[in-house]
Amino acid sequence: MENKYTLNIAHLYGDLMNTYGDLGNILVLKYYGKKMGIDVQSNVVSLDEDFKADDYDIAVFGGGQDFEQTIVSKDIQTKKAEIKKFIESDGCLLAICGGFQLLGKYYIDANGDKIPGIGVLDHYTEQQHDNRFIGNILIKNEETGEQYHGFENHQGVTYTGKGERPLGDVEKGYGNNGQDKAEGAIYKNVYCTYFHGPILARNNIIAKHILIKALKRRYPNDDFTKLEKMDVEKSY
Amino acid sequence: MSLRSELATIAGKSSYWFLHTFMNGGSSLPGKITTKIDPAILEHLGKNYDVVVITGTNGKTLTTALTVQVLKTKYDNVLTNPSGSNMEQGLVTTFLKAKNNKNKRPLAVLEVDEANVVKLTKYIKPVAFVFTNIFRDQMDRYGEIYTTYKKIIDGVKLAPKATIIANGDAPIFNSADLPNPKIYYGFKNHNDEKDMKAEPNTDGILCPVCENILHYHYISYANLGNYFCPHCGFKRPMLSHELTKLGQLTPNSSSFKVDGQELSLGIGGVYNIYNALAAYSVGRFLGIEPAKAAEAFNSNERVFGRQEQINVEGKEVTLILVKNPVGLNQVIDMISKEKEAFSFIGLLNANYADGIDTSWIWDGEFERLKNMPIKKYITGGERYRDITFRLKVAGVDERIHDVEPNLEKVVKDIPNLPTNKVYILATYTAMMQLRKDFAEKGYIKGGIE
Repeated sequence: MENKYTLNIAHLYGDLMNTYGDLGNILVLKYYGKKMGIDVQSNVVSLDEDFKADDYDIAVFGGGQDFEQTIVSKDIQTKKAEIKKFIESDGCLLAICGGFQLLGKYYIDANGDKIPGIGVLDHYTEQQHDNRFIGNILIKNEETGEQYHGFENHQGVTYTGKGERPLGDVEKGYGNNGQDKAEGAIYKNVYCTYFHGPILARNNIIAKHILIKALKRRYPNDDFTKLEKMDVEKSY
Repeated sequence: MSLRSELATIAGKSSYWFLHTFMNGGSSLPGKITTKIDPAILEHLGKNYDVVVITGTNGKTLTTALTVQVLKTKYDNVLTNPSGSNMEQGLVTTFLKAKNNKNKRPLAVLEVDEANVVKLTKYIKPVAFVFTNIFRDQMDRYGEIYTTYKKIIDGVKLAPKATIIANGDAPIFNSADLPNPKIYYGFKNHNDEKDMKAEPNTDGILCPVCENILHYHYISYANLGNYFCPHCGFKRPMLSHELTKLGQLTPNSSSFKVDGQELSLGIGGVYNIYNALAAYSVGRFLGIEPAKAAEAFNSNERVFGRQEQINVEGKEVTLILVKNPVGLNQVIDMISKEKEAFSFIGLLNANYADGIDTSWIWDGEFERLKNMPIKKYITGGERYRDITFRLKVAGVDERIHDVEPNLEKVVKDIPNLPTNKVYILATYTAMMQLRKDFAEKGYIKGGIE
C-alpha cells in the first residue's frame, strides 16, 4: 500500500528511558502504520532539547533506571508546558512505568527520595518496602471489554486521581498498587501503564487505537471508517 | 592453621572425593559443608595463592579461560573454576579440589559473580581484579548497572592494593575514585575526529561527573568506545594496552593487533576480542611476553564461551547462548560476518534461568537479519509467539519463516535445512534442552555442568 499519511512520534528521552524493550512500542507502531498506509517517523527528544507539541502526533515515554530517571525528572520540568499543551490538545501519548510516574505529581524512588513529576496528570506514586510486583498480568478495559496481556515489574505503587480512569481492571496480577484492582491510567488520548512486553507488541489493538486517534487528529477532514474496520492480525 | 579450618577442609575434601568418585559430580555441596564448619575457610584455603578475580556482566567465562591459557605459557600451576561455580561455595570447592603444591606460590584465576566479589575479598586479597563490562542483565533478577558496579566496588575496597585491570572503553569503570593501581585496555583503531552519540536504546550513557549525555569518537558496541563529555571534559582514561587494528573477522575467527602484536582467535565476535584484550593485559601484568600470549591464543586448546560448533548430520551448526540485549546484539553482529548462505534458528524460553520477561528481545537488532544471506528461518521455544512476531516486525519474509514450538522437532528439521551452515540462538533453558537432545542423538558428548 502506498503511504498516504505521515505521523510523527516523539520518543521522549529515548536514550535515557529505555528499559527492556520499550523501543519495541515504536517498532510496532511503525509496523502497523505500514500496513495501514501510514509513514510513521520517530525522533528522540532528550536532555536540553525542545519538545514542540505541534511537531508531533504521538509521544512515547518509556521507563528508565533510577539514576537516569532522577536526571530526567529535572530536565522534564522545562518541557512541562509543551507536554501539557500536547495532552490537552488530544495528542496521543503512551507512557510506561517511569514515564507514567513522571507525568504524575511525584514518585518516591528506591532510596526513599521524593522525585517531582510534572503533574500534568493527577496520579502520584509511593514506594513499597522490600517488595516488587513482578510477573505476568492480565487486565480488562471496562469501556471496550478488551483484555490486555503484559509483564509488570515495579516497586512503585501508583494511585490515580481526578480525570483518570484505569487502562484496565486487574484480572490476574497486581496492577498500579495491588489494592484497588486498577492498572495504568487513561486521560484523553494518554495511555499510561506498567506493562512491559512491550505493551503494543502483545496488545496490537492498542497500537491500532493510537494510530487511528492520531490520524483523526492530524487529518480531521478525512474519513477513516475503512481503516477503523481493518483487522489487525493477532500477534500473540 | 586453626583446628576448625583443618576440620572444615578435611570434611570438604572428603565430601568432594565422595561426590566426585561415586556420584559423578559435586560442585557446590563440598563448599557448602566446608563453609558451614568454618565460615572464614577461604582465608585458609586461599592464603598461598596469588589470586586474579575476573568479574563483570558478560565475558567472565571466556576471559577466565583465555587468561588461564595465557598464564600457562609461564606458570605450571594455574588453578581455575568451572563456569557456573562463581559464587562463594563454588569458589571454596575450587580450592578444595586443588592439588597440593608445596614448592611454588601458585596462581588462581577465578571467575567471580559480581555480588560475590566482596565475599571473596573479605578473606583473600587478590593481586588483580579484571572488570570486563557492566550491562543490564535480566531485569527480573539483577538490578541496575550502577547497583551492580557498587557491589563490585564494595569488594574492591577490601583489597586496595590489588591492581584493577579494566575495560577502558566502559565509562562506568572510570567513575569511582579508588586508590588501587589501574591498567586500562581498549580500542584505539580510529582517530579522534568524529563526534557521535550512542544509539537511543543504549544503556549507561550519562557522564558520571556532570550527568550530561556522553559523546564518542568511536563506538565498538553498546556504550563501549572512546567516550568524552563535551560539557565537563570527562573522557576515556589513557590506555595501557591498545587494540590498534581490527583484521579479518568471521563468525569463527578474529584477527587483530594489540600493542603492535598480531593476535588471532579461533572464535568470532567483537565482544570476544575484548575478552582476549583482558586476558592479554593480565598476561602482560604477570610478565608474559606479547608473542607468548599470541601463541596461547593460537594453541589448539578449544575455549568455549557461549558458542559451540556441532556437526548435525553433516550440517555445520553453531549454537549460541543469548541472555541479554547487549549480548544478543553482539551475536547478531557476529553472524553478520558470515559470507556463506545459512539458516537462522531463534529459540526463546522464559523460565527463571532465561529471564521470565521476554521484552528484551525488542532491544535486539533483528532488523539486520534481512541483509544477511539467510535462506530459512525457524522460530521456536516456549515463547515462540514472542520471537516469531519480533522477526515479523523486523521484516523477515514469511515465505521462508517456519514456526516450530517443539525443540525436538526443531532438531529433527536441521538435516533438511537448505543450507550447510546453521546458526542457532537460544536462551539458557532452550540451549540446555537442545544440548540434551543433541547428546541423546550422539551429536555431542554429554552435557555441561
